[in-house]
Amino acid sequence: MGEAGRKKYADYIDVEEGWVDRRIFWDQEIYDRELEQVFARSWLFVGHESQIAKPGDFLTTYMGQDAVILSRRKDGGIGVFLNSCPHRGNRVCFADAGNTRQFVCNYHGWSFGNGGELLGMHEEYVYREASKNFDKQKLGLVQARVGTYKGLIFATFDPDAPELLDYMGDFAWYLDMLVDADEGGTEVIGGAVRNVLNCNWKFPAENFHGDAYHVGWNHLAGSMAFGGSGFKADQNSSFQMNSNGHGWETAMGGGAMITAHNSGPVLEYVLENLPNIEKRLGKERAEIYGAISSVTMFPNFSFLPGLNAIRVWQPKGPAKTEIWAWVLVNKNAPDTVKQDMRRGVMRTFSPGGMLEMDDGENWENATLSNAGVVTRRQKLYYGMNLNAPEGPDYLPGNVRMGQIGDNNQLAMYQRWADLMDAPGWGDVPDRRQAKKAAE
Amino acid sequence: MTITDSRQPAAAGAPDADLIREVEQFLYREARILDAEELEEWLTMLTDDIHYWMPSIQNRYRKDKQPAFSEETVALFEEDMDSLKIRVRRFYTGFAWPEDPPTRHCHIITNIEVALTDNPDEYRVYSAFLNHRSRLEKDEDWMVGRREDLLRRVGGELKLARRKIVTTQSTVLAKNLSAFL
Ligand code: FES
Ligand SMILES: [Fe+2]
Repeated sequence: MGEAGRKKYADYIDVEEGWVDRRIFWDQEIYDRELEQVFARSWLFVGHESQIAKPGDFLTTYMGQDAVILSRRKDGGIGVFLNSCPHRGNRVCFADAGNTRQFVCNYHGWSFGNGGELLGMHEEYVYREASKNFDKQKLGLVQARVGTYKGLIFATFDPDAPELLDYMGDFAWYLDMLVDADEGGTEVIGGAVRNVLNCNWKFPAENFHGDAYHVGWNHLAGSMAFGGSGFKADQNSSFQMNSNGHGWETAMGGGAMITAHNSGPVLEYVLENLPNIEKRLGKERAEIYGAISSVTMFPNFSFLPGLNAIRVWQPKGPAKTEIWAWVLVNKNAPDTVKQDMRRGVMRTFSPGGMLEMDDGENWENATLSNAGVVTRRQKLYYGMNLNAPEGPDYLPGNVRMGQIGDNNQLAMYQRWADLMDAPGWGDVPDRRQAKKAAE
Repeated sequence: MTITDSRQPAAAGAPDADLIREVEQFLYREARILDAEELEEWLTMLTDDIHYWMPSIQNRYRKDKQPAFSEETVALFEEDMDSLKIRVRRFYTGFAWPEDPPTRHCHIITNIEVALTDNPDEYRVYSAFLNHRSRLEKDEDWMVGRREDLLRRVGGELKLARRKIVTTQSTVLAKNLSAFL
């Protein structure tokens, strides 16, 4: 396994014909390898700059299954480091968020600064006077590489990972609709909501990556309750876009996502701002802005543009995932708009949310059915809309017309297989844009 | 954890036994109606200005001045009558897949305390709950917590005007929260 040239994981994904092997949603060995090959090598979303605005602010989260602290250092820089003491491995911070000058380990009292550096310890003289290989400089909390994009903070434990912008590829052009639609930028408000699902993390990730298909049927009750008659896609004015394994499916207009907040002030705010959005981002993106859409930035950062529900699918085992969900707003939006958006997101996309409530059971059962050995051997059909025409040239990335389909999901699994197979980042193919890569 | 509602100061004087009994019966009846999924009926037990709130809980150090939750933080429920009606409507569309086959609910309500307020028609009521849901073959979800209610007498009948629900879970240990608590 892992020798150069052998494409073991690519065999699980048939991008041409549209099949995915069910084992990737169940197998413990595959999951363990994902932690190594995907999560320990990718840029992972760890938080938003507004969540650690002041020196000493911190929050705790996970990168894969590695517990980490995201911290605003004294010098104003951003640190991301393992939340595990180099002495015996205990966790050094137990709060979800807060502000502190230091993290002190409960076990023997080693203390770390908000850059993760070792400051001192209980009975330090023993270390100084009679200990082997003692070097305070080398005993800090293990650092990750940090990259930011317009307020969003990402980190990776792989020194060889490409720069964040290269990693994003053409996805960044779309991401600006979320984080750069207003000159004041964005902020996360109100903290996190978390819940547990007995599912493989890839099911929710692929769902946001490209699955507009489920909306019309699975969320029918929710959309009817809001006074609609169910989502209907127009394949001729919607598309799926992917680049380097990140995916964005969207209608090309309509702004219907904004109405999910069920708030007059929010709708007014967005409508009034549309000319500004067009000025900032251009006509193409202003049209897409707020349309029915969903997004996954590979591997596990997802959001709904317009509704501005953002979340991470934290992997906890082949059949366990935690949803960590936040609300993103424009910093300059009026307070009533921010509060309405906070309520709007929670009423639709949180464990008690009227739309999210429908999703969990599907993902759990899609995962758990693979306990059956015969079931597990079968392949899942991902051939939908693969013959669709390419999108217009003004849209960057790999674009296919129609938001209903499997083009994006397959691209996500292709990227997954790329990373699972590749010994190093140098072996990972460029999936930015098929046209460009071919040139 | 403190969940005291400062908006309704407790008045001097103890509630009499009849009132305590009446409040208990109201809460037990409400629990039974929720168990039976009679959600339209449940809505009639609420005042039109109902505020139904279940904040999400954050772990913070004791020295932290920021509380585990506030009115500004995210909430699992932050509902008024309009949004509750939308939720109930969703339930009755016939397309609410995660409720078909139906969930089996049991709401256990206990630790009921009644306090008078400055308004003779409003009572502050504390209770604890244990909510058990089971579904399909063997799906099981448990949730425990405290509630702080404001009950108001409207035309002689008690109604729920405000509810604050504080669960012990900072991560909801379930795939959804398809239940009123
Ligand atoms: S484990 Fe942290 S001080 Fe010993
Ligand atoms: Fe969904």
